[in-house]
Amino acid sequence: MTRDGFEALAQAYGGDMARWPQDHWDEAALFAAQQPDLAAGVLAAAARLDEALDAWAPLAVSHGLREAVVAAAPAPRVRRGLTAWIWRAGAGAGLAAACAAGLMVGVMLSEAVTPVSADETVSASLANYDDLTGLVNGEGA
Amino acid sequence: MGDPDEALLARVADGDPAAVRALVARKLPRLLSLAVRMLGDAAEAEDVAQETFVRAWKQARAWRPGVAKFDTWMHRVALNLCYDRLRRRREAPTDTPPEVVDDGPAPDRGLQAMETGERVAAAMRALPDRQREAIVLCHYQELSNIEAAALMGVSVEALESLLSRGRRALRAALADMVGD
Repeated sequence: MTRDGFEALAQAYGGDMARWPQDHWDEAALFAAQQPDLAAGVLAAAARLDEALDAWAPLAVSHGLREAVVAAAPAPRVRRGLTAWIWRAGAGAGLAAACAAGLMVGVMLSEAVTPVSADETVSASLANYDDLTGLVNGEGA
Repeated sequence: MGDPDEALLARVADGDPAAVRALVARKLPRLLSLAVRMLGDAAEAEDVAQETFVRAWKQARAWRPGVAKFDTWMHRVALNLCYDRLRRRREAPTDTPPEVVDDGPAPDRGLQAMETGERVAAAMRALPDRQREAIVLCHYQELSNIEAAALMGVSVEALESLLSRGRRALRAALADMVGD
């Protein structure tokens, strides 16, 4: 590396060789070893500018800004789109099927246990009475 | 090299509140610094940082790993927003200068350092936009020359030229502090 090359890198990237592009490190280190006084002077001058630049402290993040940014962040993921539709449709169909099945069972049970009307009961009793009367009177058997 | 933000971003996409706060803690100071150094205006810089995150939140669920680093993408968004504002400033000249950045009380920092910082800020504001951008990206944001050149859409050689001219101008403006 030439003196001009070394100075150009310091001028562009500053006085800390660790911040120079990595592909120049070996050559720059060799130059600094060969010309230590020159290299030290170039680096020191660049480092003074770096130090001045670093005196411009960054702006602190205010609480209000931080909370506004956080508040705009994505909400916890919920089922969306097709997945949610399938889930809801499945749940709905299941609920509807359960209702239908319950209704059918209810109808069947009600038919099985509901007593026949009072009129039918009386008619049946009278018919049996007639049959018994016939037997007693020696009619048929 | 993998993206160090990738895993955190996946949790953000799921709405993990802890991940959201971690990403904000990691990126917000960095983006605010970028914007304030590009614009020299605290209020505008806060707007840019906030808008950058609004776009980042929208992007989180659609982010495709491997295409670009998320930090680089955020820098690009923030820089574009800064340039929009700088362009509007040029198109609508005003007698009112931009608000001077107020770093707030800093008891641990000496008066002289504050004065130095203000002088550096003024010298940076006086630079052409592209020179300022190169110095902000390389010196303050500590991006590599390849990352900075890619963000600026220039070659590494062109970036180095911008850096050299910018630093030379700063050295001249701050000659009494940094020597010749």
